[in-house]
Amino acid sequence: MASLSAAGLRLGPGQWLALAWLVGLLALATLAPALPLPYPPGTPDLAHMAEGPSSATHHWLGTDALGRDVLSGLVFGARTALFLTLPAALLAALLGGIAGGAAGFWGNRLRLGIGGWVLAVSILAGVLGFSRTMVAVGAGLAAALWASGRLFRRAIALSVPLDSLVLGTATALDTVPRLILVLALVARGGVSALGLGLVLGLTSWASPARQVRARMLAVRALPFIDAARASGLSPVRVWWLHALPHALRPLQTALPLSIAGLLALESTLSFLGVGLPPEAASWGQQLSAARQAPQAWWAFTFPALALAATIFSMHFLSRSRRLSVPSPNR
Amino acid sequence: MGRLLLRHLGQTLLGTWLLASAVFLLSRAGSDQVLQQAFAAATEQLAPAASAADVQASRAITRHRLGLDQPLFYVGRTPAGGWQWRGWHNQYHQWLQQLSHGSLGTSFRTGEPVTQRLARALALTLPLTIAAAVLAALAALALAGWLAAAPRWQLPVRSVLVLLQSMPLFVIALALLLLLANPEALDWFPANGLTAVADAGNAGRFSSSVLLRTLPQLVLPITALVLSTLPELTLQLDAALSYELRQPYILTAKAKGLQSSAVVYRHALRNALLPTLAQLAELLPAVVAGAVVVEVIFTLPGMGRLLAEAAAARDYPVLVGGVLLVGTARLVSLLLADLSYSWADPRIRWQA
Amino acid sequence: MSLLLLSNCTARRDQSDAIRIRWAHDPETLTPLALQNQAAMDASNLMHVSLLQANSQPLAIEPALAAQLPTMARQGDSLTTFRYTIRPAATWDDGRPVLATDVACTLKLMSCPGLPNETARNNFGRIQQIEPDPADPRAFTLICQGQAPDLLLVTGDFFILSEASLDPRHRLRRYSLPALQRWPATRPPDSALQALARHYLAADLANHPERSPGCGPYRLARWEKDRYLSFRRKAGWWGHALSGLPLALQARAARLDYLVIPDASAANLALRRGDLDVYPQFPAADFQRLTATPTAAVRLYVSDSYDIALAGFNTRHPVLADARTRQALSRLFDTAGLLRGTQHGSGQRTASLVAPFDRANYNDSLRPVPYDPPGARALLQQAGWQPSATGWHRPGPKGLQQLHLVVRYRAEDALFATAALQFRAAAKALGIGVELLPTESALFGKALAEGDFDVFMRTLRGNPFAINFTPLLHSASPSETNATRFSNPACDRLIDAIANTNDSLARARQLRQLQGLLQWQAPLVPLFFLPNRVAARRDCQGLYVSSLKPGFVAPTIERTAAAAAR
Repeated sequence: MASLSAAGLRLGPGQWLALAWLVGLLALATLAPALPLPYPPGTPDLAHMAEGPSSATHHWLGTDALGRDVLSGLVFGARTALFLTLPAALLAALLGGIAGGAAGFWGNRLRLGIGGWVLAVSILAGVLGFSRTMVAVGAGLAAALWASGRLFRRAIALSVPLDSLVLGTATALDTVPRLILVLALVARGGVSALGLGLVLGLTSWASPARQVRARMLAVRALPFIDAARASGLSPVRVWWLHALPHALRPLQTALPLSIAGLLALESTLSFLGVGLPPEAASWGQQLSAARQAPQAWWAFTFPALALAATIFSMHFLSRSRRLSVPSPNR
Repeated sequence: MGRLLLRHLGQTLLGTWLLASAVFLLSRAGSDQVLQQAFAAATEQLAPAASAADVQASRAITRHRLGLDQPLFYVGRTPAGGWQWRGWHNQYHQWLQQLSHGSLGTSFRTGEPVTQRLARALALTLPLTIAAAVLAALAALALAGWLAAAPRWQLPVRSVLVLLQSMPLFVIALALLLLLANPEALDWFPANGLTAVADAGNAGRFSSSVLLRTLPQLVLPITALVLSTLPELTLQLDAALSYELRQPYILTAKAKGLQSSAVVYRHALRNALLPTLAQLAELLPAVVAGAVVVEVIFTLPGMGRLLAEAAAARDYPVLVGGVLLVGTARLVSLLLADLSYSWADPRIRWQA
Repeated sequence: MSLLLLSNCTARRDQSDAIRIRWAHDPETLTPLALQNQAAMDASNLMHVSLLQANSQPLAIEPALAAQLPTMARQGDSLTTFRYTIRPAATWDDGRPVLATDVACTLKLMSCPGLPNETARNNFGRIQQIEPDPADPRAFTLICQGQAPDLLLVTGDFFILSEASLDPRHRLRRYSLPALQRWPATRPPDSALQALARHYLAADLANHPERSPGCGPYRLARWEKDRYLSFRRKAGWWGHALSGLPLALQARAARLDYLVIPDASAANLALRRGDLDVYPQFPAADFQRLTATPTAAVRLYVSDSYDIALAGFNTRHPVLADARTRQALSRLFDTAGLLRGTQHGSGQRTASLVAPFDRANYNDSLRPVPYDPPGARALLQQAGWQPSATGWHRPGPKGLQQLHLVVRYRAEDALFATAALQFRAAAKALGIGVELLPTESALFGKALAEGDFDVFMRTLRGNPFAINFTPLLHSASPSETNATRFSNPACDRLIDAIANTNDSLARARQLRQLQGLLQWQAPLVPLFFLPNRVAARRDCQGLYVSSLKPGFVAPTIERTAAAAAR
């Protein structure tokens, strides 16, 4: 336990290094368009294909098999890596937190009033593409029922199997390995960076949902929740204001790992040529071009190092506790 | 415990069916993939001219021959925007019926039964991934046991493992390929997949000479897979072992005069194995799904590449079959995990 | 470790009688009625024989299964007849002779309802009737619609299948060819045809071609999908008794193994290690590297080819409907730079779809389209486009049009990946938005046929025997072949005239005219003709490279005596 607080407050030299790398990367990614790079990314230099690092051509890190400058690919690849995986990881954490938190708090016994049911059905109808007026009528009915007093709402309420619903969906997502799942989803035609981020986020919320749900089961039983209920707060407010903030704690350590996982997944997809469009610079894509010119070590080494260093830094930061477990000798 | 298992199984079964149905319906909705296959030759080469009307007519014939002119699902949209009951004679119903007879349909690309393609890919993938999983598990056991006995090495070894863990599988595989199977660097291993041609004399039999011949081609893929699974297994096992070794019962065992290694292997390991077993069972779906990346890089025609290519080419029957297969593997893995729990922790057995 | 390496060496030795050739993809299906890719075509050429065959040395159409070229006669003003005689020596594997009834059965199978024969039906539908010669069971006459010169190729270019194995009960003899061809799509096949289709489909020839062996020199000994195909020469093949056969029928190699190695660098490695003997379509970069530092083991071959790399515009798209815009965009391809960067100098820039080395037909007064972004900008402004901070716009019939292009090309094709990036960079410098969509092969054809693109890039494989632009550019052709949906009355007239004339001088004149017209209209941008590069182990002799697909002749390759003794 002592080492836990130490990891939270004091950083060792290794952790400082990891943090510095990540901050530096973030700065590089943000400033990429303003940097004085000799070549733009994703533009083939037809006179210098797969040539090594050289100061004469100003390709400081060489060019890959398609004639793209490795250095500018690295810089703009950092931009893609961070600005795609960060929001995707946050989206997954948000979705997972809410779904897992709700499932853990209410279990299978959430009583949803008739108004809520009408609203849910009309939203479903809207998604399925029924006529707009029907949806509007449904929503209006729900609002009317909502306004018409608490007693009436409670009288005709059915319980929602929220827990089973969330766990079932999470299981369905987990049935197939994530790479195959994303591959199947993305393969339907080209996908934009935004679309890929959404797909990554929407397929990655199962694990945070499980963590938050497990934590919520424990939080729910704590005395202060009962106290909040007894004070007359509505269940939704108890959940939102008191239970959820505590239940979200596991996500703090899980987030860097989740980002690292998504970064690996994104680069793997780009490597396989199904992720981002080819004009978007990405480390995975740079690495896939390395196969076309096996003699061009520079086209492999630099993006591989950047990718490994970034993922390592994130692992290192979230795992520093485990690394600093005191050995029995001491 | 029995009820929990049943619930797990039910959930997975439902999830698999939903996912497979969704992929099936997505695949057939408005997709003229099959038709396109029949006309692929026309676009690749400048074939003698056929008029647009001829092409339309032969398209209609193909649709009918393949049963694609039937409605897709029990209900469908009418052009006016409403919903309409389409009857039992629809493509989805037929697919379900086929499925209940154990048939997954035929591949769009090759016209082969999907089961046959899956079986062929599995025959390659399973030896590869199972060998990798077993080797990784054994190596993790040995490494974690050694670390428990040699605490001085813990920090450096753990750091190396975490470093290894931060390499995505494709980087490891690519590095192995470019380092060890590259005439520009070290040319020690063949890079291409299983293209060794079996002699027609012993056709149909997987003789030992073929195995020997393909072995060098499997060394690098297996190494890549082991290197990518080893860190997580070892770190987990190592952490669990360190925890167990601080428990009072270990002190008792040591006080009885047992040797350090005996303490580790007889007492601590059994308890520490519990989470690792769960991890191993989790590996099973991945074992079946194959390692897409490794198979692509080393050009092995296994499950992973089959599914990846099916996804890219929208060969949906194969994709649906793959999803079903992986889902089944998941069912089995749940069963195995629960069984192994009760083996490793007798308390669970007593409670059941 | 040494054990593994050792076993690898022994593996190399005991296969030395086989010639091992690289394929990038598995042929996937080998139905003789619906061949879908070049690999399937090559494989079928080993197992089956057609009446005529394109020979590469000398470059000509020569009789294969036919005893000599057919005698041709015009009938009225819309029909042509071809009288063929089959070589008396030709037999099936069981010793039965190949007869006119086999040809009739093949033609009927290509039109029979209920069979997967749509491609063949479209390609050979112009053969309307077959009339056997009552006096000679090996002689027959084919009656074809039209009088175009390319009909000769149509009548001789399908594989003859065995009636004894595919229609043993002679069910098809009861039907005439026209009756089958005109079978209405709505009418279900009658019981005899259904039984025939069941028999055909049960054989599953697509995956088991050995169940109905052809009369060709090789049989498929083993097929491990996605791994390799192994062909063995038949023991007493009829062609060995004859002389003067086309090269591909001389069958000198006793065993041909095609290895499926999708990855180019892995294939290159296999060649250098000696696990592979012939590597067709050898990548340009590797070619250059091996030329610079020759190795003792590998020999390189290069020849012209009729494969042209080109880009095309979707002319139905309102933005690309006018010739000026297309001309402007075609000035954004740096063809000279791409040729240098991706082909390392070999290959040939071209102004038109006709190969520059075809001196008789190539219009040498045309210049290849230059790389000229300022010129492109000027042309765009002439076409009514106005640049702004958000891109190029112009008023159209349905409101403001924006110049934003979706470019499709086959994924995993390094040449077009480079070309697409170059085009995008050039367009971006002008302020034109370009979206790149590398597409999987099977989907690529579909996207093109459905018009789901603005610009496409691809290779087109031509052949030296028939110059016919009807499928590619005629307004009556379906979008499966006329992907640009180009339609221009003047071009249609010229294309028809070229397809239907037998006068080579007149055709050359019309071709020159068409090339000029097409360069101005610019539905397609010809980038360059690709060279045909083959790399082979030095101990392989008898390798003929040519401009014909697949670029070399496989059955003539033999290992030198020194290698065989090793």
